[in-house]
Amino acid sequence: MARRIGFFICECGPNIGENVDIDAVLNAVEDMDDVVLAARFGLMCSGPGKDFLKANIKTEKLTHLVVAACSPKQHELTFMEVCEDSGINPFLFQLTNIREQVAWVTKDKEEATEKTIRLAKAAIRRVRYHDPLSKTALAVNADVLVIGGGVAGMAAALRLASPERRVHLVERSSSLGGRVVAQGPIYPTMASGGEMATAMVDLVEGNDWIVVHRYSEVSVVVGFFGNFEVVVTGELEDGGTLETKVNVGAGVVATGAEVLEGKPLEDLGHGSIDGVVSSAELEAMLADGSIGGKGGKAPKSVAFVQCVGRDEVGYCSEICCMNSAKQARLLLEAAKGAKVHILYRDLCVPGRDQQAFLEGAVKAGANLVRTTSVEVGGSKGGITVSHSLGDGKAEKLMVDMVVLSPAMVPPTGTEGMAEMLNVELDPSGFLLEAHAKLEPMAAGIDGIYLAGSASGPRSVSDSIVQAEACAGRVLSSLIPGRTIEPEIRVSHILETLCTGCQTCLEVCCYGAIVYDPMKNVSHINAAICRGCGNCVAACPSNAISLYHFTYKQLYQEIVEAIR
Amino acid sequence: MADKKKKEAGYEPKILSFCCNWCSYAGADLAGVSRLQMPANFRTIRVMCSSRVNPVYVFTALERGADGVIVTGCHPGDCHYARGNYFTRRRQALLEKVLEEIGFDRERVMLRWISASEGPEFASTMEEFDATIRSKGKNPLSEEVFL
Ligand SMILES: Cc1cc2nc3c(=O)[nH]c(=O)nc-3n(C[C@H](O)[C@H](O)[C@H](O)COP(=O)(O)OP(=O)(O)OC[C@H]3O[C@@H](n4cnc5c(N)ncnc54)[C@H](O)[C@@H]3O)c2cc1C
Ligand code: SF4
Ligand code: SF4
Ligand code: SF4
Ligand code: FES
Repeated sequence: MARRIGFFICECGPNIGENVDIDAVLNAVEDMDDVVLAARFGLMCSGPGKDFLKANIKTEKLTHLVVAACSPKQHELTFMEVCEDSGINPFLFQLTNIREQVAWVTKDKEEATEKTIRLAKAAIRRVRYHDPLSKTALAVNADVLVIGGGVAGMAAALRLASPERRVHLVERSSSLGGRVVAQGPIYPTMASGGEMATAMVDLVEGNDWIVVHRYSEVSVVVGFFGNFEVVVTGELEDGGTLETKVNVGAGVVATGAEVLEGKPLEDLGHGSIDGVVSSAELEAMLADGSIGGKGGKAPKSVAFVQCVGRDEVGYCSEICCMNSAKQARLLLEAAKGAKVHILYRDLCVPGRDQQAFLEGAVKAGANLVRTTSVEVGGSKGGITVSHSLGDGKAEKLMVDMVVLSPAMVPPTGTEGMAEMLNVELDPSGFLLEAHAKLEPMAAGIDGIYLAGSASGPRSVSDSIVQAEACAGRVLSSLIPGRTIEPEIRVSHILETLCTGCQTCLEVCCYGAIVYDPMKNVSHINAAICRGCGNCVAACPSNAISLYHFTYKQLYQEIVEAIR
Repeated sequence: MADKKKKEAGYEPKILSFCCNWCSYAGADLAGVSRLQMPANFRTIRVMCSSRVNPVYVFTALERGADGVIVTGCHPGDCHYARGNYFTRRRQALLEKVLEEIGFDRERVMLRWISASEGPEFASTMEEFDATIRSKGKNPLSEEVFL
């Protein structure tokens, strides 16, 4: 069918009308190939303007439309709708921006007119090579992936799972529960962390809508909000691995935090002096009753050393002051009259309950000492702790036990996780939220959320608040039965031209391209491709084409633009 | 204004600019909304990401007589498609190297990062590039006849 292109220039009242010689533009384009109509209108986006377009499309039997008006960011969609209403495929349309990028940036009418003519001609040349594209509606997948089975991951999974929404909970270790399942009493309530987490584990395991993948990690995540394709890699007992493919609409990352190890602790005698333990080791002893409890032993004198590794990591880990106050209370309960010193640099006890909790520890006998530097040494009668009090004075303590409060750090594998999910890392290496204040539970990628300590050290209650927030975001946006319209201006590979070199796989940031070794060609998954066109520019064989930004379309536009 | 410049240089440069949809194109729009005045001789091709700009397009434009070609995109780290502009940067470096090898003035091409909020930077970049190209005179290729 012969092309019948209609060209329309908008005056935008005086905005374009006064700065561009509209008649000169109409004259310049009306003789171009396939142009059957060139017309002007006062305000094209107004009701009468749209009616004017529709009437002309009908009477002139237009097949393609070019509009010279404002930025596509303003009204591209408006005119695409006009096309749809008039039975023209909305992609057989081109808008050229002669307001923001012409009429408003020069007062020289001659120059503006000349530029408008060039842009108009370029748009007309381009539209001749446009192909009709059809939108597809994709049903959203309401299922959710949760990575990490600590309290945050479990809380999110429990809130999300329902007959309409399956949750895949992926846990790297042998069992659910994370850090808290092995904890004794937790601040500020002193309820048993272990019991609380175990109760959650039971609920998760009894939930028909939660699929738990133990000994497993997520190895591939590609796609977008509503439609992610995920590969879960599990470790088998015989040492092999099992790959399970799951499809989900959103993901919650709840990979928690780990306790710093290594030099900052070793410098304070950890690993070389008996009785020097980390707060996590003490936590385990308090939980299993080897210290405190019935029959457990209890040290008579203890020094807590706070902020171990804080300078190295560059941030305060938020939970350690409160944790030491808690552990001090437990030790003082276990051995009445014990001497417990907490050597701190700064105290971090924000929130409604924390201050009173700390004062409770002091009342029970804990001795809070501000210090600037600490040294730990072994000796016959115990452990010596020398520390400076700031004003030049120093103090030496003899204790049975030293508890180091190390910084909390991102779990191993966080970098790979960030890269896989396209989520940024903050300078300390934790996953970065979209906005620290406004969206502390969202990653910068649509459909990926962050819960618990994965984005920085957090208490149990804060971790659960975040998990609930993630669940809220998912429940309010990923609604079963809804459809989404994936990008249709995507790339595709012409098999006949592809040499299977796989250059395109390297450049695609979304993992949208797969290589088929049988055919020795690559394929683009249209549901995952975002349409950036990077692979198109990278392919040495010119085998890739991006719909609506094809080689020919851009070539024609360029050549006419600089004629 | 344009007349005076035209007289000075004896010609009006033809400049092709590539803008990515998310940053530099929006920056160009903002320059317009702020009514920042700039030379109007450049013509913009909108692409979704600067990484769509195949160096072949730049060669084509130069060969077809463009006096200068400027590619613009989001600042490093801000590409709407994660890392597209890093590829653009690499391709541009290669392109400039090739231009140098074949004895073509590499300063006729330029790569700049301009964000959606940098209207003034967009305008000043265009001023600057226009001045550079004006001082260089016509693209020698535009005088040659290709068979
Ligand atoms: C010594 C100590 C004492 C504490 N005491 C208290 C207290 O009294 N009160 C309090 O409120 N808070 C306390 N906390 C903090 C508390 O432990 C955290 O708030 C809590 O663990 C956060 O839960 P989470 O689910 O975010 O992470 P975690 O409990 O760390 O769980 C993360 C889970 O993700 C898994 N995982 C990690 N990476 C991957 C991966 N790539 N793939 C699959 N799975 C992965 C891990 O195996 C783990 O099971 C204490 C912390 C420490 C270190
Ligand atoms: S279509 Fe754009 S240029 Fe035309 S009147 Fe509306 S806002 Fe102005
Ligand atoms: S870069 Fe081109 S030729 Fe190479 S695999 Fe991809 S599509 Fe095929
Ligand atoms: S256009 Fe190419 S590089 Fe960009 S997302 Fe699609 S497949 Fe990946
Ligand atoms: S989207 Fe702007 S450079 Fe990629």
